[in-house]
Amino acid sequence: MSTNFDRRRINGPEESSSPVFVDDDEDETKWRPGKPRQSRQPQDIRPIFLQLGLISQANGSAYIETERTKIACAVYYRYGPRQSKSTGYSERGRLSVQVKFAPFSCHKRRAPIRDAEDRSIAVLIHQSLVPSIRLELFPKSTIDVFLTIIENDGIDSCVATGTVAASTALADAGIEMLGLVMSCAATLMGEEIWLDPNHEEATAGASTLVLACMPALNVVTNVWQNGTMSTKEGRECMTACQERCATMHSIVAQSLVSNFTPE
Amino acid sequence: MGEGTRPSSPWEGCVTGIEVVSSSYHQTPPFPLSKYEKTYIQAALRELSPIRADGRSLFDYRSTALETGVASLANGSARVNIGKTAGEESGSGAEVIAAVKLEVEDVLEGEGVDGGRIVFTVSCSPAAYPHLSSTALDDLSYDTTIILNQCLSHPSLHPKNLTISPRRKSWSLNLDIMVLSDSGNVYDALFLAARSALWDAKVPKTRSVQYQPKSNILGDQDVEMSADGSGSIFNTREVAKAADFELADWWDEGEPLRVNREWPVCVTLNLVPAKSLLMYFADVTPHEEASMPLRLLLLFSFSPSGTRLRSMRLMGDGEVQLESMTLLLEGGENHAKKLFEALGKKLEEEDLRRNQKAQVKFDLR
Repeated sequence: MSTNFDRRRINGPEESSSPVFVDDDEDETKWRPGKPRQSRQPQDIRPIFLQLGLISQANGSAYIETERTKIACAVYYRYGPRQSKSTGYSERGRLSVQVKFAPFSCHKRRAPIRDAEDRSIAVLIHQSLVPSIRLELFPKSTIDVFLTIIENDGIDSCVATGTVAASTALADAGIEMLGLVMSCAATLMGEEIWLDPNHEEATAGASTLVLACMPALNVVTNVWQNGTMSTKEGRECMTACQERCATMHSIVAQSLVSNFTPE
Repeated sequence: MGEGTRPSSPWEGCVTGIEVVSSSYHQTPPFPLSKYEKTYIQAALRELSPIRADGRSLFDYRSTALETGVASLANGSARVNIGKTAGEESGSGAEVIAAVKLEVEDVLEGEGVDGGRIVFTVSCSPAAYPHLSSTALDDLSYDTTIILNQCLSHPSLHPKNLTISPRRKSWSLNLDIMVLSDSGNVYDALFLAARSALWDAKVPKTRSVQYQPKSNILGDQDVEMSADGSGSIFNTREVAKAADFELADWWDEGEPLRVNREWPVCVTLNLVPAKSLLMYFADVTPHEEASMPLRLLLLFSFSPSGTRLRSMRLMGDGEVQLESMTLLLEGGENHAKKLFEALGKKLEEEDLRRNQKAQVKFDLR
């Protein structure tokens, strides 16, 4: 304990941490549970900024930003989808999704080792993307999707935004897909359904639901819900998310088309 | 098939006794499954009157055995076995053991959270998955743990009596589940075992105490402190030492966790890939699971305040129409309700067996 203790000097404290300030109760502008939504309607999603081709070494990449969630996604299949030596023969290709949180992405610093939360998000994004990719065209191969979360504003928001980023990056990489996957999160706040919640709203809500679908084919690829809601509310959340995904899809498809204007 | 001879609720068999379902179909993990066998199984299900290999109807659950109090060193435990058939040609079924261990955690210095916390861990035994390498097995355990944690760790399911002294010490509830054998439908078994173990768990009763050092006014004495351990009125200058607790001396092991009615049950609905028609069924065998990987996990809780959907998760490769999701939710709710009621009856019967009947047997000696 005192191995670094130098008796000839005046030593500072062994451990230090930043001071914790008691929340200022008079701050009226900060949102609190019970107050109506700040700066947007319950059924509005946050504005999305989506840019393709930011990572030049990757076959395809996308950077997505919605208010305080920032995710960079890169897709690799250099020289064709890479050969999977370790796993057995598989007629269909494999999709490998890896998610990493940057150490500065959350309020409390995250150590740069892979932990449970990384993998849980990767599993959800994998589940959303797999039905949309034509994996039967790449037997014995693996397509890698790497997501880096630069700033994190709630896990549901990360999953939804990450799915959109990954799907657009796959399109940018030229991988054949059945459709673009769009994803939206919703939270149940009292009687209302609020779409695209940030971290405070998601924790204050009774339940959160993330839906991933392919609007082009009108199918759902992934549903994840936790918290407590009735079946009717579940249906309403899913319908609201799907409608929102349809509008997102047209915007994203438009930006993809404009990105690839013929020279 | 003799529909009339089957019990009206698919779960009645588990309450009154074990019903023998056709036991000649061995339940071994059939990796890998050929394409022809997959289409064979799927085609049989798409018939006008669907046929399953072991002769069950679409929502006939296999007979399930449940026992609580299997681990005497744990605060609560349960063992669930779906599909164990009696008789000589018995298959072993999906067997799962869950146990609850309570540990004391320090809120100030350690990892404790004020109000207590629940940690779920699932470990898949290599005996259940002999065809998987140890890294693949670790990944599977990890993934199953994540699913359990994501479904069940919402604050609304939190039991209320896990605090020892507020803001100082609390219980950490570790629910460890071991999968001993997997013959399909392992998620239903996991959630059943989790609910049963939590039903069986007893939180020891504690009392806050503080040692009062010798002062001028009073001699040494143990003073029973107020719950939050704030200083004694006699000693306004000295800072009180950290409050401690002791186990109160009661005849039973503690009080039960206070979320029994809210805790959900899980129904896994497996979807048959069909072009326009929605087809789903429950309680799969390993062959069926390998040929139809798309499934929907639904967790419902039924309490006097109403039916609540606690968690929903789509797993496996495939897609679903949104309209089908509505039908699946309704169907799932019906089956979950039957499951919940049957489980409740069984758990009460277990309580009876272990407490009152045991007392009667002891008295007879």
